[in-house]
Amino acid sequence: MQPTSKPNEPGQANKEPRLRSRTFTSMGTVVSLAVPAAPGTVPQAAVEELEAATAVVERLFNGLERTFSLYRPDSEASAMARGELALADASADMRRLYVEAAEWRTVTEGAFTAERPDGVVDLAGIVKGHAIREAGTSLLALGLKDWCLNAGGDVLVDGSPTPGSARPWLAGIVDPEDRTTLLTAFPLDNKGKHALATSGTSERGHHIWSTGLKIARDEGFRQVSVAAADIITADVLATAIMAGGARTLALATSHWDVDVLAVKNDGGLLATPGFRNLAPQNS
Amino acid sequence: MRLRAGISAALASAAILLVGWQSGAHVAESNASAVTTSATGNTGGTTSGTGSTANGSTGGSASGSSSGTGAASSSSTGSSSSTGTGSSSSTTLGASAKAGGTYAGTSVETRFGTVQVQVTIKAGVITDVTALHLTDQEQRSVQISARAAPLLRSEVLSAQSANVQTIGGATFTSDAYLTSLQAALDAAHF
Repeated sequence: MQPTSKPNEPGQANKEPRLRSRTFTSMGTVVSLAVPAAPGTVPQAAVEELEAATAVVERLFNGLERTFSLYRPDSEASAMARGELALADASADMRRLYVEAAEWRTVTEGAFTAERPDGVVDLAGIVKGHAIREAGTSLLALGLKDWCLNAGGDVLVDGSPTPGSARPWLAGIVDPEDRTTLLTAFPLDNKGKHALATSGTSERGHHIWSTGLKIARDEGFRQVSVAAADIITADVLATAIMAGGARTLALATSHWDVDVLAVKNDGGLLATPGFRNLAPQNS
Repeated sequence: MRLRAGISAALASAAILLVGWQSGAHVAESNASAVTTSATGNTGGTTSGTGSTANGSTGGSASGSSSGTGAASSSSTGSSSSTGTGSSSSTTLGASAKAGGTYAGTSVETRFGTVQVQVTIKAGVITDVTALHLTDQEQRSVQISARAAPLLRSEVLSAQSANVQTIGGATFTSDAYLTSLQAALDAAHF
């Protein structure tokens, strides 16, 4: 509570944590890794550590892109789309992720699916989340304690922007009406929800399909953000709710420990209590 | 708020929950006033979708106790088997419970808020379960208090890009990144 209210107070700007970040391009988007730039650390060593970690994450993303991208004719996914490779003969990574996507399809009652309407297997809805998850595991393995990984607007964090403190990473959420402003922010708390994923029609809307669910334009959502303990749950459910609408939203909030902020097509908001501003109001 | 719809489901799970009830300390004094339940959900019929739910009632059945089994099986509400109930009876409340009446449970804090249940027993049969205190003022069922509700923009945490460490949004393309708030943050964090 305290940390989230802090940014609202004027005159605190100089207490904002100082960060350092590095970016790279992969999977058609930009990935950023940010770590605290704590005073007292040797700058050069800290920069090198960040750049080494970024290189590890970049290699991982690019490796997954080579396997799963349908934009690359030489990828395994493209070979499958052309019918040259059966799922049974695909790599272990491909099969594992396909199974995971199929399970999500079941538990979301078809709102999330890894099959395009034309029957081609497309794991795009889960590959980025998978890459973020794997990157997070690598960062932990590298011994990084405080970091924030943002891949095209999907976020996974660990620790705090102020090392050693309980202060959460605060993730702003873009207003779909105006990309240059923030709708709100969500504290990614070290104890609970580390991941935030957002799905929407404002940017790349074309990778969302669903099976047999038809939603009237005005009762659908324009943007859905889901905070969860892990990035796959957040990412898949955000996609599923975008596709499945209010029904899937109710399913998600009753079956998973998630916080959801949905922006309706008419501009209205639907939110779970975690998105409500808990800071004391000045009245 | 009638929980009838939920009762049958609730009773089923009550059987399970009662095991815990029994092993736990008994609140029930002779006057039988302490029915209550822990349990989150209660909520009644709660809303659709989900399923599960249940719990709440538990207390209810406990109360029924004495008459125990009767309560469960008869379950005016229908269905539900819930054998377990009977057992609880042993513990029981006073004679008054057997006779029937209305019992209010103590308030219990749950992760969904404060919950209190009132149980009506007639001839040893639970005839009604009512949620007295619910989390929100509108007396909606408790279980869905974690649901997504309409919110005004002024009710969410206000934020400016200067106050956040990262920006979440629908996947941006590499091109769109160039003009994004995230790009501005990344540039500032060099």
